[in-house]
Amino acid sequence: MQPKSKFSTYWQPLVLLILVVLPFVVTSSYLTHIMTLILLWSFVATAWAYMARFGMVSLGHGVFLGIGAYIPTMMFNYWGLTPWIGVFIGLAVAMAVAAILGYSCFRFGLLGDYFALVTLAVAEVSALTIMALRAITGGGLGYTLRSTGRLADMQFADKRSFYFIALILLLGAVYIWRRIDRSPVRLALTAIEESEIAAASLGVSVIRYKMMITLLSAALTALGGALYAQYVTYISPDTIAGVGVSLSICFKAILGGMFTVLGPFVGSAIIVLLEEYIRISFGTSFLGLSQIIFGISLLLMIIFMPKGIMGSMTEAIARRFNKVSVRQ
Amino acid sequence: MFEQIVMALLNGILLGGVLALLAFGLNLIFGVVKIIHLAYGQFVMLGFYFIYFFHTSWHIPLIPAMAMGIVAMGLIGILTQLLIINPLLNAPRLNQLLALASLIIVMENLAQVIWGADYRGIPITMPIIQFGDIFIRSSFLAAFIGAIFTLGLLYLFLNRTYLGLGIRAVAQDLDMAKGVGINPKVIYYVTLAAGGALTGLVAAFFVPIYTVHPHFGASFTLMAFVIVVFGGMGNLLGGFISAFIIGIVTSVTAVLSSPEVADILAMVMFIGMMMIRPQGLLGTES
Amino acid sequence: MLKVQGIDVFYGEFQALDNVTLKLDKGQTVIVVGPNGAGKSTLLRTISGLQKPRRGSIEFEGQRIDKMEAHKVVESGVSSVPEGGRVFPNLSVQDNLKVGSYNKVAREKAEEWLPRIFELFPILATRKKQRAGSLSGGERQMLAIGRSLMSQPKLIMLDEPSLGLAPMVVNMVFEFILKMKQEGYAILLVEQNANKALKVADYAYLIESGKLVYEGRSEDFDKNPYIKTAYLGI
Repeated sequence: MQPKSKFSTYWQPLVLLILVVLPFVVTSSYLTHIMTLILLWSFVATAWAYMARFGMVSLGHGVFLGIGAYIPTMMFNYWGLTPWIGVFIGLAVAMAVAAILGYSCFRFGLLGDYFALVTLAVAEVSALTIMALRAITGGGLGYTLRSTGRLADMQFADKRSFYFIALILLLGAVYIWRRIDRSPVRLALTAIEESEIAAASLGVSVIRYKMMITLLSAALTALGGALYAQYVTYISPDTIAGVGVSLSICFKAILGGMFTVLGPFVGSAIIVLLEEYIRISFGTSFLGLSQIIFGISLLLMIIFMPKGIMGSMTEAIARRFNKVSVRQ
Repeated sequence: MFEQIVMALLNGILLGGVLALLAFGLNLIFGVVKIIHLAYGQFVMLGFYFIYFFHTSWHIPLIPAMAMGIVAMGLIGILTQLLIINPLLNAPRLNQLLALASLIIVMENLAQVIWGADYRGIPITMPIIQFGDIFIRSSFLAAFIGAIFTLGLLYLFLNRTYLGLGIRAVAQDLDMAKGVGINPKVIYYVTLAAGGALTGLVAAFFVPIYTVHPHFGASFTLMAFVIVVFGGMGNLLGGFISAFIIGIVTSVTAVLSSPEVADILAMVMFIGMMMIRPQGLLGTES
Repeated sequence: MLKVQGIDVFYGEFQALDNVTLKLDKGQTVIVVGPNGAGKSTLLRTISGLQKPRRGSIEFEGQRIDKMEAHKVVESGVSSVPEGGRVFPNLSVQDNLKVGSYNKVAREKAEEWLPRIFELFPILATRKKQRAGSLSGGERQMLAIGRSLMSQPKLIMLDEPSLGLAPMVVNMVFEFILKMKQEGYAILLVEQNANKALKVADYAYLIESGKLVYEGRSEDFDKNPYIKTAYLGI
């Protein structure tokens, strides 16, 4: 993974400082809103990258997002169960789904392309299921969180609370990543990525390690979905489940540079800002045109910056100072 | 009820033929270029729009318009190889997938901008064939016959021509194929052109059956993949058989339950196959 | 005919060949011997264009081929039989031979040559329509050599043709290599079985850890005491 270069030692605390201070300095609630979204998606993208960094590319993380979003919200709307508890139920369900899928895939040695396609199918199933159960989920029309404004229902008067929750979650995800990076787990997973057979013959419990990372990734993603539901209060299969969102998460992680700490954050920032900019300048009248530009931008970035922005930058700087060989 | 099921069965078989064409194209591209063409359904959509455009805006008679649509999609295939696949031939798999996913976004919205979000179609009435209480649409039958015929031609092409031989060689062993003097770039272009043209052909078959809209491709792309992987990725015969199995299953389920449940069932069958036999029906363990 | 000048070949950071120079004249049979992992296969891969040298040059009949695409190298007249034969497993025996004649020059002669190959290898004729993947090791090696001949090569490169084959089959293979030599083909042979290889060769090179360690005429080769013990088991 990324060796510590002087560059990253200075960048990271600086960015952190800016992020913590931002909502107090900036008066525009719109800007804070955008930043909250960026932080939230960075969190989800980082969680996704846990798996991707070890070769388990999931194109279906929307299923975990959707579970995390719909279950607490529906439980609250229908049964009044406070999201403070509902979120954990959502997490549990997401982890259960991840466990079943993960175990089946890993047990049968499903790798690479096939794994990615299965996840894609699972994401589609999740969206289709939401649509099929439209009586309780609202189907394609979406679902709105019942508004009570009470803290006990995880609804904060000051929306900036969500900003900080998202920031804390993101920091948590980064911290967890650091811990994994320095632990034997990472060595095990890297070995598994290179050769499962070799790793297994050395006594590495391939399935166990893969399951660990998968469950972790799923749980955090679901958490992100839950937070999204509480913050945005409107969810639909398009925005929080299904193939589109799943692919969007991938983009956010890899455009910034999947293997770097700041990568998912940069990628999420780019995509969220790009979407907002296009939405504002073109409005809904030229909605298609804006998306075309969006799609082409993504294409160009993939072709010309395969390691993502942070990845390319870090490599360029490392090469410049000729200190460490950057291994991807 | 019985008649409904029989009709669904027959329709499933007939549509299975067309799905088999889609599966063939995808399998060809995956087997040869080793890339998963995520936007294949969107190609079909574009082919439909091309035919619609040639016929309604340029007033070209229907059959020539269809032929032009097929050629146009072949060219689009070549363009895709040139602009998107070539630069990413050695890129990580994920990047390739995401690039094609971006293509989905571009194509769907391009369609929306040029032709709007409404459904577009060419009204063609074709007769309905009746056996007692069972009705078959001749448009379905024509599509089926056309698909089988095309598949036969493709089989001959692959097995009796040098180019077809080259394609099969590249699919099996790229380095060795180079080692007998085959230029892989040429093979890739031919493959993508053929794959593209096939989507144009499928679109032509769909003209009397459906109307097109910007999200038309989405349902086909995933279904096409389910079929292809179910049958064994890269295996042409597997894709053929799988197309009929899935076509019949979804068709009958849609009648017995609902179209959404039919789709979910197809997905579940797919996921199940991946667990039990990841290489698909006829795939070989790699 | 073939001039390899001081090539360095790298796999990433790993150097597989270091300043290797090799020469082969028309009609000559040259062998390259050396231990496992010495870089012999890399040498053949580089000559055939599948690998590019970082330094140095490769010339064939006066033309630079080190910068050429692999399929173009085949068109210039260099054909290779990789380790294990590497037939196309899902093509029939006949199709494997046909695909050998894919390049323009060979295609014209394909109809004429196909029966000749079947004459040379009668066992392939009986298995004409069989899937190549179902053949035995020896049969696959024959098929690979036949396929290589269909390319109308001027130089044939063989990578360990005797590997994994029964002694009787190995004899057949070397008999055949001798026959090809008599027909006038230039042959570059990589072999671990130095004994047998030296009998058909005119000139020999020894490569160890990517470096050229010794070269000489095959008669002189087995007089060198170091080589005798290390490679000829004497």
